[in-house]
Amino acid sequence: MGERRKIENPDLDLTPIMNLVTILIPTLLMAAQFVHLAVIDSTLPAIGPPSTEPPDPNETPPLNLQLFLTDGGLRLMGTGADEILFPDGKPTLADGEAPPPTVPCKSGAACTGVEDYDWKALTQKLGLIKDRFPKEQNVIVVPDNNIRYELIVAAMDAARQDSENKGEDGKSRELFPFVVIAGGTL
Amino acid sequence: MKKPRRATGAGPLNINSMMDMMTIILVFLLKSYSAEDVSVAPSDNLSLPFSTAEKAPELAVNLVVEKGVIIVDGKPVLQLTTKDDPSKPGQTLPALPDEAVTGGQLISALFDVLQQKAADSKALGERAGGNADMGFKGRILLQVDRDMPFNVVRSVMYTAGQAQFGEFKFVVVKLGD
Repeated sequence: MGERRKIENPDLDLTPIMNLVTILIPTLLMAAQFVHLAVIDSTLPAIGPPSTEPPDPNETPPLNLQLFLTDGGLRLMGTGADEILFPDGKPTLADGEAPPPTVPCKSGAACTGVEDYDWKALTQKLGLIKDRFPKEQNVIVVPDNNIRYELIVAAMDAARQDSENKGEDGKSRELFPFVVIAGGTL
Repeated sequence: MKKPRRATGAGPLNINSMMDMMTIILVFLLKSYSAEDVSVAPSDNLSLPFSTAEKAPELAVNLVVEKGVIIVDGKPVLQLTTKDDPSKPGQTLPALPDEAVTGGQLISALFDVLQQKAADSKALGERAGGNADMGFKGRILLQVDRDMPFNVVRSVMYTAGQAQFGEFKFVVVKLGD
């Protein structure tokens, strides 16, 4: 009882924690991912047997929306969508003449890069088509031979959803999420 | 001789500030930790395009089309050549060597490898006794360089389709992260 205790305040030994942290940091560095990846689904164009049933005259024919990617711009084609695509009336073409692009390049003539294509105008046009054909979900992308892969991905992005036009739930408006890439001409 | 004088009274090393730093690094790394199925080795010859797609990648046969070579699951299959870019004089585009393509579009070397992959996958599915997760689903991950012209991409897609891989998953870099 009479013995007086010596009060000590020793430093906390941090060495084991340091050891642990030194091992954890390389482990996590290995597993860290600084580039986040995603995938875009696509399938081969399905060629089924031709339908033997005569088409129902009361039923609206399928839209069959096609998006052509060319050096001169983006061109849309769809059954029954001509009014939206050509508000001033369909241009008459001479034999062998290429139709004009629905969405020309920003710079006017041939597009110089991925930024030169007017993706916003394309999304707007597709939005108008979606208003008329709300049940359609497919779009066929037909790129020219020398179109770069980057442009195909940008076209699929522009066709999939309208990020400027958000619904009440905060999600972008869905346009044509099922994208098929078709061969085009050889 | 006079003994060199030792520094006396030096206490233990103070590692508190280092611990602070380590804690911050640890938290940052934990935040960027991910265990995704697919990883991309950074390379000068492969720069993936950016996209607004959200879907996470899943495990499948991995087909990489770099600027100079086509790789399937880590093994080089075919060397690519270059040709002149018709729209930009003086520049070149990657192209398939003429002798590698048969029947207009089929890349025979790639076809053989993919068909083998499909056969292996089917055999594995049979051994697993009809387990739907193990069987052959025809999925293929395509990592394509963003400057690849479409005629190369089309031949690759056509060849994969002929080898019964019909469900393409184009790997892209997610924007806005």
